[in-house]
Amino acid sequence: MAGAATAAMVRDGQAGERVEWRLATPLGAAYMAFFAAPLLLLAWISFYEDNELTRLGPGQWLKFLSDPFYVGVVWRTVVLGLVTVAAATLLTYPLALIFYDAGPRVRKLLLFIVVLPLLTSVVVRTFAWIAILSREGVINQSLLWLGLTASPVPLLQTQHGLVLALMQIEMPLMLLPLLTVMQNIDRSLVEASRSLGASRWRTFFRVLLPLSVPGWVAGATLVFASSTTAFISQSVIGGGRLVFLPSVIWQQAMVISNWPFAAVASIMLLASVLLGIVALGALGRLIDPKGA
Amino acid sequence: MRQSNITRRTIMKAAAAVGGTTLLGRPAYAKGNVTAAIYPGTWDEQYRAIVAPALKKAHDIDLALEPLFAVDQIAKAVASRGVSPFDCFVLDPGPRVTAIERGLFEPFDGTKLTNAGKLPAGAVDNWGAAVNSQIVGIAYNPKKLPKPKSWKDLFQEPYVSRLGLTGFQTTFGTVSLIEMAKAFGGSETDVEPIFAEIKKILPKIAAVTAPAALPGLFQQGQIDVTYTNTNNIDSLKRRGVDIELAIPDTGAISFVTTLHIVKGAENKDNAYKYIDTAISASVQEALLKSSAVLLPVHKDVVLTEGLPIKSLDELAKFVTHDWTKINPQRAAWIERFNKEVTK
Repeated sequence: MAGAATAAMVRDGQAGERVEWRLATPLGAAYMAFFAAPLLLLAWISFYEDNELTRLGPGQWLKFLSDPFYVGVVWRTVVLGLVTVAAATLLTYPLALIFYDAGPRVRKLLLFIVVLPLLTSVVVRTFAWIAILSREGVINQSLLWLGLTASPVPLLQTQHGLVLALMQIEMPLMLLPLLTVMQNIDRSLVEASRSLGASRWRTFFRVLLPLSVPGWVAGATLVFASSTTAFISQSVIGGGRLVFLPSVIWQQAMVISNWPFAAVASIMLLASVLLGIVALGALGRLIDPKGA
Repeated sequence: MRQSNITRRTIMKAAAAVGGTTLLGRPAYAKGNVTAAIYPGTWDEQYRAIVAPALKKAHDIDLALEPLFAVDQIAKAVASRGVSPFDCFVLDPGPRVTAIERGLFEPFDGTKLTNAGKLPAGAVDNWGAAVNSQIVGIAYNPKKLPKPKSWKDLFQEPYVSRLGLTGFQTTFGTVSLIEMAKAFGGSETDVEPIFAEIKKILPKIAAVTAPAALPGLFQQGQIDVTYTNTNNIDSLKRRGVDIELAIPDTGAISFVTTLHIVKGAENKDNAYKYIDTAISASVQEALLKSSAVLLPVHKDVVLTEGLPIKSLDELAKFVTHDWTKINPQRAAWIERFNKEVTK
């Protein structure tokens, strides 16, 4: 009897596994058809020599990799992502700590304020930054009024202006995962650290920071991926003198119709974003070997 | 509690049915339809308001408009590989030449247009018909700067430090930079002088920008002088921005926007009717008076006050360009511009 029951359970279990596999098939097929296949197609196109896709060859790859300008563009794009992550981290951690110490009402209010910008389109937020950063914008008007500067400071079309805007635009992407993780950190651990004589800073670096690292890694990954690919913000706020991979891809694919070269640039963007994500994960493990 | 009758089989059947309908493909157009690509923004707005009702009234054809920039139309048509995504293109000269080279147009029969005779000579050819003239010149803020007189002025104070520079990715950007190159000794095919000049002024200029950001930068006072087409100037003016057109001493630039039928278009006959309607006198006049201020090609349309030209004949004296010569070099120019201006 017991044996039969066990056998039935095993059979059910097997059937269950089969069902799960079959249930995952549509999603798997959709991924193959709409994600993996186009990606392979992209890689294939990158090996054409000419715009009309008639001759195969490594010419476009050689052109990209041997040109210091394009290698520089890849480097600049990755640096932009890393600097934005660093800036967003500096902005996000203090907010997350306030959130951690706050009561439920303040938490709700904070969360609302953080989520609010996500409800407006990134295009609108980007154009709002023109109004803030321009010569006659809010920041420059304030600086002039306070007498801190005699003439407007260039902010728009500069790397720091772009990082400032991206930091605000991407900040919720880092804050939300961080808050979720920090919400679950046992308060008694902090209290134990404090009562054992650790300073506030020591408690932060030895207790809160390692425990919150998984949230930071998730957030940093999102911010990195999102800021390196932020075509609109990069071109509108960064301007023509700061060239990043997304605008190279757009120009090559749309204006010049050189799809193979655009494909090479796309794969380089994909690869550098993936590398950045791996690096951020490794950094997380370095801070907290058990966590992230 | 009553058990639900929904079984896995039902769900799968329903899913199959839903999935199956999408496999049936695009439903065939009902007779009396035409789909046309149109530039986003004021063009799209005014074509919906003026051309669509006119076409419905004249031929009982429903016009569906798909807002796409010229380069996006080309990319979409190339990507669709023979299954035309729309029936008609609207293109500037550069993309037009690209489309001809790539074989994206149906051969065009001008005799099917009743208004063809009312257009200037050469406005209708074997590829399509002109629908609108565009004028490109210097745009400046009259409250901040005196009126510039030449392309060379842009490279000197007080203009250079207020200049918004944009590259070769747009038609107006390309033709303006060519004219500047000419002012410094270059030609339609030799823009080398302009790169040398740009290099000299780079540290001084107010902004190097994507064309889409130009209006915003002008409005916010980041730049006070640039080069663009009259449509952009007029649309900013209507929003209360201090902006005026200055025609350089070597003349303003003009180019025509053209309509074409996409190769393999489903609604060819309706496409001809759409084009014929778009170039008809009444529609052209309405488009001119609309917020898009689209300069007509139809000879009978009376020009309104405040336009940079008094009659269409003046356009003949404007500077025009041969895009069959420009296009082969454009990719290299775009790349070169990136490299020269990058910090």
